[in-house]
Amino acid sequence: MAPGHLLRIDHVTKQYPGTTALDDLAIELPRVRIGLVGANGAGKTTTFRLLLGLAHPTRGRIEVCGIDVARDPIGVRARLGYMPEHDCLPLDQTASDVVSTFGELSGLPARAARQRASDILDLVGIDEARFRPIGGFSTGMRQRTKLAQAIVSDPELVLLDEPTAGLDPLGREDMLTLVARLGSFGISVVMATHLLDDVQRVCDHVVMIDGGKLVVSGATDALLERTGTVTVDVGPRRDELVTALRTVELPAAVAEGYVEVTIDGDAQIDLLRDVIADLGLPLYRLTSRLTSLDEVFLERAEGVR
Amino acid sequence: MTSSVEVGRGAVYDRGYRPYEGKRGRRGAATLALYKASVRRALGLRRSWRQKVAPFVLLGVVTIPAIVNVGIAYVTRNDVFTNGRVRVEIITYREYVGVSSALLLFVALVAPDVICPDRRQHVLPLLFARPMNGVDYVAAKLAAIASILFAFSLLPQIVLFVGNMFVSNSALNYLTGHVAVLWKVPIAVFLLAIFYAVVGVAISSLSDRRIVAGASIIGLLLVTSITAAAIVGEEPQFNGGSAGALINVLALPIYLRDLVFLGHVDPEGPLNGVANGGLLAVVAYVAVLLVGVGILLRRYRWVER
Repeated sequence: MAPGHLLRIDHVTKQYPGTTALDDLAIELPRVRIGLVGANGAGKTTTFRLLLGLAHPTRGRIEVCGIDVARDPIGVRARLGYMPEHDCLPLDQTASDVVSTFGELSGLPARAARQRASDILDLVGIDEARFRPIGGFSTGMRQRTKLAQAIVSDPELVLLDEPTAGLDPLGREDMLTLVARLGSFGISVVMATHLLDDVQRVCDHVVMIDGGKLVVSGATDALLERTGTVTVDVGPRRDELVTALRTVELPAAVAEGYVEVTIDGDAQIDLLRDVIADLGLPLYRLTSRLTSLDEVFLERAEGVR
Repeated sequence: MTSSVEVGRGAVYDRGYRPYEGKRGRRGAATLALYKASVRRALGLRRSWRQKVAPFVLLGVVTIPAIVNVGIAYVTRNDVFTNGRVRVEIITYREYVGVSSALLLFVALVAPDVICPDRRQHVLPLLFARPMNGVDYVAAKLAAIASILFAFSLLPQIVLFVGNMFVSNSALNYLTGHVAVLWKVPIAVFLLAIFYAVVGVAISSLSDRRIVAGASIIGLLLVTSITAAAIVGEEPQFNGGSAGALINVLALPIYLRDLVFLGHVDPEGPLNGVANGGLLAVVAYVAVLLVGVGILLRRYRWVER
């Protein structure tokens, strides 16, 4: 994979009559799997249109794979794959025809496009059905075909717009597995979604936007920071522990059958351990709870609004 | 990515994902790919047999006059009329250009089929995420329809010419005596094909429903031809024609055909006696082409707003 940033969005504002879709968005993103998170209307689709060069920013500049989108939109699109959210496949054609045609449209020679279409349809799990018209496909098969057309040309970057939309739990699981594998193929991913669980599962980096403004951008692991809350499982004598902790001024409460203790630093962890030992309680579990991306989004979006 | 697991003396290969390292085209390749895909769609290739019936039946219909003409010439090849050996011609090369309404039916059937589904099934965002823009899209679609019309108009003429050549007393004499036909027919057919393609594709681009677009093309034919006929009146060869004949939009390439073959408007046609009738026809022809192309470029301009 080529070195350098995958995307550089340099103070981009996009205004439509009467509305600002993106407001001074400034981010640099590495060549990894990126989750673009936001509520409906947050600016995700506008961001994709700008990355594809299908819309021009009102202000600011965008680089994709080191190419200035305003200067060479065709060059950018030659390096990208795109999977839209909505239905977008010709329903009276076979998956095999559609994927090989889109391979050719991306610049592959006809023979290579047909060969790769066959390989990629295998990869996404469309086997014999590839010779049937797409109109007869289930939602899951259509989503896989959409993914296949997006990666048939071996792009540097693939833009996935709500790839799990409308899928049942099994289909969603399969789609996320496929997305997670793209990184190992050398394909960077930007996945737009409002499902934070999906991002948490497959993305290395998260960009959250709300109302066109950047909420937060960072590595997924770094955002899932420890909350300062410790969950303790001591069996049925949990009320006894809560009382004892309060006497040593450690805030504690029972929640969902466990004792949750707010701690500040390693010294208080030692104190907690000593209290449990003094009471002679069995210690089945002691974990430091991680925050979720939902909590990160809600907390930081509040600050941006 | 290739891995192998040794199983006895053989090996099981997991081909996995293979990056593409071959040649990649850009705008030209993408436009050519869309052109080929549109031609295939128009002719029903790689589609069910039902989709193949209409184009090839129409091709048969436009070829019938040539076959009948050659057949009659063959049967009467030894008959002598008037002062010499006068061939029986039920249709001349000039009349054969654009005389068949089957071509118009073909445009009304095929142009909507290659344009409307792209919009109705939301395929356009996928197409424009490729290394191409709106101009390339319009060029590919126009070229596809125009080249099929050109082929369908030229093929019967070739049948007629070759047939006449072989039923004449001397094929060589026939060829040398009709050299002008060899350039006049392709030029006239080209003018016809481009015109019908632009009108058909432009009207089709205004609707995402095939039936509406097809009916609009037929409607344009009927309304303008009836209006023009009402203005010109009967027997223009005796009473004089009228510039109102130019209202018949779909007859404009026929007037240009006359200019190519005769060097002036048809003395028996509706422009007979109109001052600068030929020039007016050329101006009207070009104006309609410009309006059609303008509509198309405007319709597909949104992709890089």
